[in-house]
Amino acid sequence: MSELFQDLVVQMLIGISTGLILALVASGLTLIFGIMDVVNFAHGELFMLGAYMGWVFFTMTGSFWLGLAAAGLCVFVFGLIMQRSALRSLIGSDPLTTILATFGISLVLQTAAIWIWGPTVRRVGAALTGHIVVFHLQFPVYRFMVAVLSLAIIAGLWLFMHRGRFGLWIRATTQDRQMALAMGIPVPLVHTVVFGIGAAMAAISGYLYAPILGVDPTMGVNNILRAFIIVVVGGMGNLWGSVLAAVFIGVLEALAVIWVSPALAVIFSFAALIVTLLVRPTGLFVAVPR
Amino acid sequence: MTGARSAEKPGFWIAFLVVVAVLAVAPLWFPNSFWQRLLTEVLILGLLAMSSDLLIGYVGMVSFGHALFFGTGCYGAAYALMWTESPLALWLALLLGLVGAAVMGIFVAFYSTRLRDIYFSITTLVFAQIFWVIVFTWTDVTGGENGLVFSPPRLSFLGLFAAEFTTMSMHWFVLAVVAMCYVFCRRVTQSPFGKVLQAIRENEPRTRAIGYNVERHKMGMVMLSALVAGLSGALYGIFNAYAAPDYFFFLQSGETVIYNVLGGIGTLIGPVLGAGVFVLLKELFSTYWSPEYYLIPVGLLFTAMVIYMPQGLLGFLRHKLNT
Amino acid sequence: MLKLQDVQAFYGKSHVLHGVSLEVDGGQVVGLLGRNGVGKSTTLKAIMGLVAVQSGSITFAGKDLHRQKAYRIPRLGLGYVPEDRRIFPRLTVLDNLRTGFDRQGASAARTEQLLEQAYASFPRLKERQRQLAGTLSGGEQQMLAIARAMMLDPQIILLDEPTEGLMPRLVGQIREIIDVLRQANVSILLVEQNVPMTLAVSDRVYLMERGAIRHESAASELSVDDDVIHKYLGV
Repeated sequence: MSELFQDLVVQMLIGISTGLILALVASGLTLIFGIMDVVNFAHGELFMLGAYMGWVFFTMTGSFWLGLAAAGLCVFVFGLIMQRSALRSLIGSDPLTTILATFGISLVLQTAAIWIWGPTVRRVGAALTGHIVVFHLQFPVYRFMVAVLSLAIIAGLWLFMHRGRFGLWIRATTQDRQMALAMGIPVPLVHTVVFGIGAAMAAISGYLYAPILGVDPTMGVNNILRAFIIVVVGGMGNLWGSVLAAVFIGVLEALAVIWVSPALAVIFSFAALIVTLLVRPTGLFVAVPR
Repeated sequence: MTGARSAEKPGFWIAFLVVVAVLAVAPLWFPNSFWQRLLTEVLILGLLAMSSDLLIGYVGMVSFGHALFFGTGCYGAAYALMWTESPLALWLALLLGLVGAAVMGIFVAFYSTRLRDIYFSITTLVFAQIFWVIVFTWTDVTGGENGLVFSPPRLSFLGLFAAEFTTMSMHWFVLAVVAMCYVFCRRVTQSPFGKVLQAIRENEPRTRAIGYNVERHKMGMVMLSALVAGLSGALYGIFNAYAAPDYFFFLQSGETVIYNVLGGIGTLIGPVLGAGVFVLLKELFSTYWSPEYYLIPVGLLFTAMVIYMPQGLLGFLRHKLNT
Repeated sequence: MLKLQDVQAFYGKSHVLHGVSLEVDGGQVVGLLGRNGVGKSTTLKAIMGLVAVQSGSITFAGKDLHRQKAYRIPRLGLGYVPEDRRIFPRLTVLDNLRTGFDRQGASAARTEQLLEQAYASFPRLKERQRQLAGTLSGGEQQMLAIARAMMLDPQIILLDEPTEGLMPRLVGQIREIIDVLRQANVSILLVEQNVPMTLAVSDRVYLMERGAIRHESAASELSVDDDVIHKYLGV
């Protein structure tokens, strides 16, 4: 097998796993936008906060899995508080207002992280080390596990939304907030819980990313940009569109790394964004427009 | 500026001249050059804020990427000043800064007509951030993380006169440029062109139905905004004799939006005031707490203003954007 | 049972309701007639807590609706069928009906019974229960909107122009449903443009103009050609 072909396969697999981690961030972002018209600029900081909370519990207990649970749980609660205290009163107003408010919150959180934990990069050990062999090629087990885990979480979210009463409430509220109220659905509660779920997914994503890239206060800013690109490419408010777009962007950037430096790979994502906006401004992966 | 044919009430010109005079003279009594330079910096950042207000307040488009124009303006000026030390260097620097911003402006203007509200915000943010990555990594051309350092130009007029900039003459030069830009932008927003844009903001389909070319008007305003932002960037480069990749960073764009919200959107002069308040708060918290963490209190203040003061300055924003 | 007194409400910045007072008694069908834009739909939205009420009182079975959170109002026994149907287009027919299952105190058996009733009234919906509601025809969507409100086991249903844009055959079907509901002792507040139909099904009617009630009488005392009808509804 030629070296280029080997590179292609490995990078493709890396891209898929990165894409699935990002899909966790992006699907939360798109879920929140879909249901309450809030473009959460602070979503990257929830990602970062998750990585830190996980790191704190990881260093305390030595267990990767306890860290994961703590990351999700702490940021879920934080998300509930953030939505109730800051965003609830803005629902129904101009989306631009919520951009401004969440932007303010992201500045505060990011600076607070530097204040509390300092600018140094923190390390989290991977749950699984070692490699598996795919077509005679070495591929880290951890990345494989992360891909499966991310996919399982997204599938879990889908099941939650399509089985049971609360999921029905979420879908109904997303489609018509006023009629949901008129059918007796506790819309404010639905909004708060959905924000919490989105926050927790971002947090888990941040923590899963930690063994790969480390934990630092700017990791949110660096990844939220990608998440925004994914959400626009996938179609705002479209869950599966976001997942597909995340994998697409992940693979695109991973392949780009074969030829350019990792920092510049993001330019390829931007090109994808531009093409999307030119060809289909409502998103590449939008289902048949109604 | 054709003052004679101006539609302004005389009161405006009196107030304008008084404010300019105070801004020109006041620094002479400042205790040291630190505060003098701070005021100059406020004027330059205020000009940047004003350029972004042209879009937020008069077209209802919130750019989260104005750092792009600011940064290009600054690097444009930097290349001019690294290339030549002729008496014309000052004007070349401004010109090259404007050209750089214009190129970016054309691109963004082209997109602006396709993208509505949040999509415009996100795309401008992403685009500016991409350029930050490029400037940060392309060290050979941009100096990378270290930026570009150059010697400041001399103050000159058409070769008639040339002198080294002093703190005060720099201040006066900046004040003159900012004041002229303010009058120009004000005239544009009050012109038929500006009125059409406000009609677009109020009701785009109706304005289109009447027969105005909505796209061309939007593109025109984006271009103007980009040019004014580029000019402020070029001034900032000349003022600091330094161009840094940070000027492209999204924090710069974000701060520009903060200036607008703090000062009052849709007023042109409000954002300049907002820049002043921001810089002052930043100095205050940096001195009495820490220069690294000033964004915690300032960010909280900003968020609180957005959320809990709907009748305050943001009430004004919402009124402007929603009606 | 439902009583509005001097209700004032704004829609955005415009003052839409200038003191609306009306009353619906148990088991009654009450018509609310008026030209386009006089505030009929806003009156229903105000009852459901979907527009902010500035002053006045809205009481239902002795409870002050004005002070209730919007999502609690339907649970008290009020069903709402909005004018543009507003079914959830990307939910199945069954899921649309299920959004109303949550009424407080309703047992699983009662819910099942309600669903059976709804399907009995609208057999068409049962055939299509797995289909996405957005793919239904206009008439079927109207049926779904009414059935969905019935799932709340309401004491009163607010019907906003249920016959708008429907074929005559379907208008007849709506009339039948109203009669069925009346027999089940469900009150109805019916907003309509269709004067003959409203006069035929209602016990009482209110005529509305510029955000206030101008005339009230028993439906049997009015005919399509009356002067008041011409005054408030004629073109």
